[in-house]
Amino acid sequence: MSEQISRDNLRTLVAGWLAAGKKVVGPVQVKPGMALFAPLRSADALLLDRWVRPSNSIKEVVFPRHEALYGYRIGKNSVELFDAAVFEEQIVIGAHPCDAASLPILDKLFNWDFQDEIYNQRRAGVTVISVACTESDDECFCTSVGLSPSAERGSDAMLLPRADGGFDVRLLSDKARGLFAEAKLAAGSDGQAAYAGPASKFDPAQVGAFAKDHFEDPFWAEHALACVGCGACAYTCPVCHCFDIVDEGNGREGVRARNWDACQYGMFTLHASGHNPRNNQAARQRQRIYHKFYMYPEKFGEILCTGCGNCARNCPEGLGVLPVVTEVSHG
Amino acid sequence: MDNLYRPDLMEIIGIQQHTSDVKSMQLRFRDPVRAANFRFDVGQFGIYSAFGSGESTFNICSSSNWRDRIEFCFRKVGRVTEALWKLEVGETMGFRGPYGGGYPWAEWRGKDLIFLGGGIAMPPIRCAIWYALENRDDFGDITIVYGARTVGDLVFRDELDEWAKHPRVRVVQCVDPGGQTPDWKGEIGFVPSVFERANVNAANAAALVIGPPIMIKATLPVLERTGATLSNVYTSLENRMKCGVGKCGRCNAGPVYVCKEGPVFTFEQLRQMPMDY
Amino acid sequence: MSETNGFEPKIVAYVCNWCTYLGADLAGTSRLEYPSNVRIIRLPCTGRIDANLVVKAFEIGADAVLVSGCHPGDCHYNAGNYHARRRWILFRELMETIGFDMRRLHFSWISAAEGKKFQQVITEITEKTIALGPYNPYGAEPRVEPLSPMPQAAAGACDPAAELELRTAAKRVLESGQANVVIGYGARGPVFITRPDDVDRLVWNANCHQNLATYLKRKEIRALGKAAIVMKGCDERALIILERESQIARPDLHVIGMACNGMGQPKCAACDTRETRFADEKISSAQPPADMPDRYVAVDQILAMEPADRMAFFTAEFDRCLKCYACRQVCPMCYCERCIADKNRPQAIDTSPHRQGNFAWHIARAMHLAGRCVGCDECTRACPAGIDLRLLNLTLARTAEQQFAYRAGMDPALDPLIGTFSLQDKEEFIR
Repeated sequence: MSEQISRDNLRTLVAGWLAAGKKVVGPVQVKPGMALFAPLRSADALLLDRWVRPSNSIKEVVFPRHEALYGYRIGKNSVELFDAAVFEEQIVIGAHPCDAASLPILDKLFNWDFQDEIYNQRRAGVTVISVACTESDDECFCTSVGLSPSAERGSDAMLLPRADGGFDVRLLSDKARGLFAEAKLAAGSDGQAAYAGPASKFDPAQVGAFAKDHFEDPFWAEHALACVGCGACAYTCPVCHCFDIVDEGNGREGVRARNWDACQYGMFTLHASGHNPRNNQAARQRQRIYHKFYMYPEKFGEILCTGCGNCARNCPEGLGVLPVVTEVSHG
Repeated sequence: MDNLYRPDLMEIIGIQQHTSDVKSMQLRFRDPVRAANFRFDVGQFGIYSAFGSGESTFNICSSSNWRDRIEFCFRKVGRVTEALWKLEVGETMGFRGPYGGGYPWAEWRGKDLIFLGGGIAMPPIRCAIWYALENRDDFGDITIVYGARTVGDLVFRDELDEWAKHPRVRVVQCVDPGGQTPDWKGEIGFVPSVFERANVNAANAAALVIGPPIMIKATLPVLERTGATLSNVYTSLENRMKCGVGKCGRCNAGPVYVCKEGPVFTFEQLRQMPMDY
Repeated sequence: MSETNGFEPKIVAYVCNWCTYLGADLAGTSRLEYPSNVRIIRLPCTGRIDANLVVKAFEIGADAVLVSGCHPGDCHYNAGNYHARRRWILFRELMETIGFDMRRLHFSWISAAEGKKFQQVITEITEKTIALGPYNPYGAEPRVEPLSPMPQAAAGACDPAAELELRTAAKRVLESGQANVVIGYGARGPVFITRPDDVDRLVWNANCHQNLATYLKRKEIRALGKAAIVMKGCDERALIILERESQIARPDLHVIGMACNGMGQPKCAACDTRETRFADEKISSAQPPADMPDRYVAVDQILAMEPADRMAFFTAEFDRCLKCYACRQVCPMCYCERCIADKNRPQAIDTSPHRQGNFAWHIARAMHLAGRCVGCDECTRACPAGIDLRLLNLTLARTAEQQFAYRAGMDPALDPLIGTFSLQDKEEFIR
């Protein structure tokens, strides 16, 4: 049995969630040529009319760029710790399959042996309503990493754009069924063939094998020359998850906070002694590919990449995963 | 909520200053239940914090048999260690752990033990030495070679003298040429060559070597010449860490998270890992 | 005393050790009464008072800030106050553009003998601040203000002959040993050509955005040896600053100047450096656009808003900041071995990408580029969050041009804007 919703009715549904005080995150236009996933101020701001690839990812709903892990108060000869994280229900709408798939991938990392309850609590409050892709651009490569423009992994609901501007609706979890309980759904699918996506561009296993077997290879140095060592790739990546822990506050009280961090920074691995295992950009670029295509699969059984292409789109110097791995897999 | 990152509150019950910039501290859990239940393996590490300044990673340098306290040792080099340096007995700091794995005592049983340390690398050896001495019958001869740049840089000096009093324990202290004082009675030279001069047969020994990369590099061939195999030579890596629990993504050496699969490795293991530490 | 409604403002006074501090001391010993709202922080010299200290004060709850030192000519270190004055001129314009409440930022010269003046200044500031009420600069509701877009320069047509000429030139410098590497543009981005056979990887088209001068600071690139570098006229300005700041030895660098008809960036609309001026060889030619708009028109657009609206605008901009430091890393001028943002003793700038940390970072970044930024706009292009950083850079560039007739990287003979001063620098804002 299939159901559908018109674009107007979907907007009305979103407006209803907002009116009920829920936090809804979706793609919004921030300036010409740039869309970002951001909390919606109104249902009208939600970009639904055409395919957009936001410059950021949805990981921020479960793994914010900055979050308090706990607070502290320093008294005379005593210290008091208190919970400082705030959890809320969050609805993501308009994620693409490459965004939604990031959550189950991150789940593994944050629950590997030690369970990160701050992550888990945030995660429990998230419902992801994805919109299948009807287009792709040159940097997209979901089909190379086992996903597709309508892959359902990580989604609570999948909306498939219809020719009439509406969406076929696939409700995949009780959370989504609850959110759509009030929706004006109609029966029937338009039976359009789903967009197949870009042709596969490389073989991830081959990239992993290269990273493992060519750890010391001039390829990395050559490839890394153009890298200026910023974190734009990591911070816009749906699955890059490295973080820093810092204290912020005055002498009396403050918070211990977790902030995003990135392996491309020179100081990322700098020891207190001054020794730095990755003291050049080649080693740092290699780490990013190695982590995604060899280390993560070794540990967690899947690659740390969803093929969204954000790294390449956001790299000021034209680097990113795709250019590297294409080079690797084509010898 | 069970918060992975929330530390235990520790009371500083003792402070020892070793050099102009190295101190060790003795800590007791503020929570008596936690104090009673806390267990760790010698060789594991913890994450220590000064509230308002941040966290830093150090080995737990006390023996696991000392149930009334844990100890750690640090050099004042950055924001966190400067804040720790200013803390006084009776004040509160944070500790979370233990993390990583300890030394493989079961494999070391029945063997001679060789401890080679350089400079500030003594603390992770010190806990092993105490533990070995407390289980003296389990091990053969114990050789300790500890060196630093100058006499003023040696840490735990009083304990070195104490260890030497134990039967079948040989302690050799050394300083780099030029680092000696007029009354210096130890050796002058670098740890690898001083160890070679000590003429130890390492064929039936487990060795723990911790120090700056240059010392380790020079020590390994000496150990092999004296009969050791790299699978019996251990070290403890000190990669930069933030979380300690395999999440923050910075301590990996090749495919291995040092915080979870380390910090203790044999050089045979390290030889098979990419040079990323 | 005036009516305070219970509001006791916090006023932070950064004062120099030699004049104003002694003036405050004199006020005290002379039993001159002044409000107790002021917290005096003593520094060696006004020249030491970093803009970030002022920002920090507002960050942690100051309702007003006073910066005060020796009168012109009286500096204990000869000229610290002159240097400070020049930086304040720039800093005030930056704060004005961002929308800080300028009625809360005060400057004065108070000598050791002027206990009376210290009393008056503090009293006045306190009364004024009480009237203004508490200040929370970062409490603004972020608001996206659609700026009318800068007249966009279409990407100019690229001379296909120029690309061929460029490759020929690159081949020649590599074969002759004049350079070991040619830093230029490839199909996706910067390329580093070391073999004459590879020169066909060089391209010249309307996507040659990067300011390649940023690579001259990178040790990986320096290790390649003597460099030849492809420069547009706008990028070349960076070389002039870098040479002036002793970061490059210009004679060691072979510059291939490419005439540019615009890369379709906002900066290109008002570009008057279509050709390089000091390149070792120049390829092709280009003319400035016929009807060139004022290059600071974007600043005027911002300043047309009320200060509170400007603050709301920049709050929305900076709230998007991820602290990925793409802006810093692509900047040819950000070559510090260790950036102030990476220093934590003391922590001048919070590392967290929250509002106050982001404001502190972007203000510091802009100030550190004051009189140095050549307007290549790479920071803005690189930002994955689309933050219009050029508005800050343009503000300071405009101040430099209007107040000091200085445009960074235009005239190699000029002394740097910061690091020099003039006795005539304007000081109508200083009490």
